[in-house]
Amino acid sequence: MRLSAVKPIALVMTREIVITTLLLLGVSFVVFVILYFSPGDPFSVLLQGQMASEEARMGAREALGVSPSWYTQYVSWLVNMFQGNFGTSIRTGLPVLGELIRTGINTLYLTVGSLLVTLAIAIPIALYSSVRGETVFTWPLTMFAYVISALPVFWLGYIFIYFFMHKFNVFPVFSGTGAKFSWLYSLLPIFVLGIGNGTTSEVIRYLRDEMGRVMSEDYIRTARAKGASVWKHSFKEGLLIPVTEMIAAKIPFILGGAVIVEQVFNWPGMGRMAWQAAQDRDFPVIMGIAILAAVFVRMGSMFQRVVYVVVNPRASQE
Amino acid sequence: MNRKLLVLLLTLGMISAVSFSADAGSKRDGRPDGGTLSYGEYGRPATLDPVTSNEMISLRLTELIFNGLVGINEKQEIVPELAKSWKISDRGRTYTFFLRKNVTWHQKEGAGEAKLFTAGDVVFTHKIMMHPRTITPLKVRYEFIASVTKIDDYTVKFTLKRPILNALAKFSFKIIPSHGPSNRHFLTREDPFAQSPIGTGPYILKNVTADREIILVANDNYFKGRPHIDKFVAKPFADQNIMTQALMFNAIDMIVLVNPRDIPEIQGDKRYVLQPYNALSYSFFGYNMRNPLLRDKRVRKAFTYAVNRKEMLASFFNRQGTIISGPFAPGSWAYNLAVKPFRFNPEKAMALLKEAGFTKGSDGIMAKGGKKLSLTLKVPIEKESEAVKRVVLAFKNYLKNIGVAIKVEFKEWQSWKEDVFLEHDFDIIFASWVFDDSADISSLFHSAEIGSWKNNFGGYSNPKVDSLIVESKLTLDHEKRRTINRKLHALLADEAPYTFLWTLTNYAAYHKKIRHVAIHPYKYFSFADDWFIPSGSQK
Amino acid sequence: MKSYSQISGEIGEFSNLPFWKKADTVDLVYVSYGLLIVSLVILSYVLGMFNLMPHDPQALNLDLMMASPGTSGHLLGTDFLGRDMLSRLILGIQAYFLPGLLAIAISLSFGTVLGVLAGYRGGRFDTGITYFTNLVDSFPRLVLILLVIAAFKPDIYYIMIVVGLTNVPVVASLIKGKIHFLRQKNFIEAAVSLGLPTRTIILKHILWHNCRSLFIIQATLGMGEAILIETSLSYLGFGVQEPMPSWGNMVQSGANYFMQGKFWPSTAPALAILFTILGFHLLGDGLNNMLEGKRGR
Repeated sequence: MRLSAVKPIALVMTREIVITTLLLLGVSFVVFVILYFSPGDPFSVLLQGQMASEEARMGAREALGVSPSWYTQYVSWLVNMFQGNFGTSIRTGLPVLGELIRTGINTLYLTVGSLLVTLAIAIPIALYSSVRGETVFTWPLTMFAYVISALPVFWLGYIFIYFFMHKFNVFPVFSGTGAKFSWLYSLLPIFVLGIGNGTTSEVIRYLRDEMGRVMSEDYIRTARAKGASVWKHSFKEGLLIPVTEMIAAKIPFILGGAVIVEQVFNWPGMGRMAWQAAQDRDFPVIMGIAILAAVFVRMGSMFQRVVYVVVNPRASQE
Repeated sequence: MNRKLLVLLLTLGMISAVSFSADAGSKRDGRPDGGTLSYGEYGRPATLDPVTSNEMISLRLTELIFNGLVGINEKQEIVPELAKSWKISDRGRTYTFFLRKNVTWHQKEGAGEAKLFTAGDVVFTHKIMMHPRTITPLKVRYEFIASVTKIDDYTVKFTLKRPILNALAKFSFKIIPSHGPSNRHFLTREDPFAQSPIGTGPYILKNVTADREIILVANDNYFKGRPHIDKFVAKPFADQNIMTQALMFNAIDMIVLVNPRDIPEIQGDKRYVLQPYNALSYSFFGYNMRNPLLRDKRVRKAFTYAVNRKEMLASFFNRQGTIISGPFAPGSWAYNLAVKPFRFNPEKAMALLKEAGFTKGSDGIMAKGGKKLSLTLKVPIEKESEAVKRVVLAFKNYLKNIGVAIKVEFKEWQSWKEDVFLEHDFDIIFASWVFDDSADISSLFHSAEIGSWKNNFGGYSNPKVDSLIVESKLTLDHEKRRTINRKLHALLADEAPYTFLWTLTNYAAYHKKIRHVAIHPYKYFSFADDWFIPSGSQK
Repeated sequence: MKSYSQISGEIGEFSNLPFWKKADTVDLVYVSYGLLIVSLVILSYVLGMFNLMPHDPQALNLDLMMASPGTSGHLLGTDFLGRDMLSRLILGIQAYFLPGLLAIAISLSFGTVLGVLAGYRGGRFDTGITYFTNLVDSFPRLVLILLVIAAFKPDIYYIMIVVGLTNVPVVASLIKGKIHFLRQKNFIEAAVSLGLPTRTIILKHILWHNCRSLFIIQATLGMGEAILIETSLSYLGFGVQEPMPSWGNMVQSGANYFMQGKFWPSTAPALAILFTILGFHLLGDGLNNMLEGKRGR
């Protein structure tokens, strides 16, 4: 790659990394403050089953060496985090970082997979209808996509599980039955989240409109008049950039959907862990998850920026 | 209704020692070894050691991995376990245990020779349990022990601060090895031992998979003989509907606690056994005496008369439970069968309210001196808790019929706990107590237990009750204590600080290939080493 | 005033025909279906408000729980406490109508203000606002809602405030993008050079003429999202709480019987959700196409 092509990307990357760092600081601070002021004590999970008195509660905090004021707690958490130490879960005593990596990979797999499913449905429909308009062929497809994106995702999951059990006589859970094709069933949650995350219709509409807009731009018209390939000219502006924009914008939604789908399909992921931790007020875990979720979101937007700059190098100077 | 119970682990009752011994190696009872049992749990265990763990899922697992000095058999009798016999002296203040020899601790793969269980481990367990920096529910239960001394490698002596009733049963606490925890003084959840425990029990923790399945394998050297089933797998679920379907489609072989709504479905299927086991727990509506309207006993009694418990039990739980009349779990020796639960009688309820000075207002709500009987019922939110929703909404409906307006307020669990136990900001709550044996209810109704984070959340105070509780605690005679508790039961039934509802029958569901299943009321797996799977079904 | 009319219109074709006359048939179908749904929603809202329902939606009937549709006067059957499903469906819209509008109002108003500030003023404003919107985007939303519920109480309004706030970045970035686009086309420069006051440019020429279809789309999407989020929360137990019905908690309680082969109790509210969201989406789509003159090529 030529240096002139690398430089803008490097520039964008640096910028994004700086922004991400600042954002992570902000996210961690806000989450910490909210957690601190929400009712419930993270340490009560340790005392459950003994209905501890006030003294026992204070004793538990002391035993764990927790400082009493919230800002010292936050600062010490922050200092540790910069040293790569996310602390240990209050509930299980396991190191948060290890747990995050383990569940994070599963969630990443689920999230990226469902994004691909969403795009695999949305792109062909959007492309076809932006080029040909609504036809007898695209209209039912569009309607179908709209309908599935209006279904509650957990209910959709139930339907799929029911169907798989009663039609194929298999039980689709990730923690497989040891059967031969159990890995196949693990595609099911990805598929369910991909179609049921509530964004398919929005993605279709956005891609279709963007494509339509680009198609009516002067340079495409010129290209078309000249008899050149419209596709070649419109690909970057009309498809690549909108798709990356949608990926970046929809990651937070899909992460939210993962909380539900992971519970329905017994998927050992981050969303499920986040839900448990939020109920226990297990703050090291929640903070870790918030950071990791923010990193996922930022990775999406970094990806979008990089693609944008590659397509349009001038943009990096903005 | 099964996760968020207020767990109150109290004393374990009863009785005499039976001497019995078996050799290590095969059980030689003619039943086949082999097979795998995977069971579903709703949620994941927090820790796997017996000291820091404080919820039912962990408790069940530690039952498979560890042993106590004494154990309990299927008839609820105390039997030798790690101790082969014992001697009680000094008028019940000294307990000397003679330990079993040749008991080995679980061996991790690649580790050297198996270590022997000795008296040092018993002393160590007690020390680590009582250390101020160890957070464990066991501490309050064992404060009666003054000291533990090792006499020799296989003899250990406990000295009690004072003689207490049924002390022997309390020596069922699980023993951990002195070479287990990496910190020799106290145990926290961060200690690696909490996730990779070493015990003496019938099963050895093999590993925890990436999906958080817990794999246990048979301990070939188990001192009561090798357990029959080769492998236990605990699978965590986050959705009870899916867990039941996993059973129906053979992805798991057993569910330890079936959701009441799924009972009919499993009942209708010949492949499965639904086994009831007695749970020492009950549900109730608890009243806040800080509300002057509820301080009147007649009002509380009126509420109890207005509620049709029989109908609720039949409609919501397929009659799988027992209606109770008082503060002890039925099943326990303290329960007074002579006291009958109030019969559903709305007329009597109305009469009681009138007697207490209430009259019906123009809006149909009972009022007294300008104060309306309009109350807030606070209920903790649980995922998949339609049983709770049903009961509280039916309660609201019953009370509406006698002119009482109930506002049901669902709250997130932790903020509910703060409202009830710290702020005392509620009129009525719906909750359940789980007992290990229900003999001791002092923390629920004694007036000394009123305050922040104490169990007498309703602020119930009655000198008569207080003195009966103290009397019952001080006596060392089992029959006498029983008599006192019966009096206490009758008194509290009439006082109605709670509307006592019922004890539900717990059901385990399992595939019929698993045989000889006996279940301990709350430890569950106490007899699992005798379970077996016929050779033909082992796959 | 030729130049004035040129900028007062939208970028694109300008014609004097009212927009519905030049609309495509498909769009008309979309919009009519959408309007039908919206009027049904409003009708149920009014019916619920004045208690005009076939049965009392709160009346328990323990002898008739989980009845199938058509049983003794219950057109859609009964739920797990023997309450009439149809009445509860009608009453259920109360959970979404005003709270949903609140969420939409929050996201549109804050989003517009931030978007205009970032796009029109640019510079430091832009940097600050971008940071803020990125921050909001990076939060795990469900965890945030759970903590808010814990801190206050499980009330649909609190949930919808969070939903509205977390949607602010979407609206803000769309508005900002639109302004950038108009700048690129030298639209704003032209308006400024005509000496129009900033307020008129922003309110009338940018927001009214160029962003209204964006508002419509976001509003219709917002309603759908409000319903789906409440449904997800209901699955987790934190949606609208009993005894108030919401379609979400109805699907959830019905779904507990789904695996036992009783599909109806969850299907009825799920279909209500489906048709309503579809209605809002198609309404947005159709109106958007009409206003922008997208079709009819």
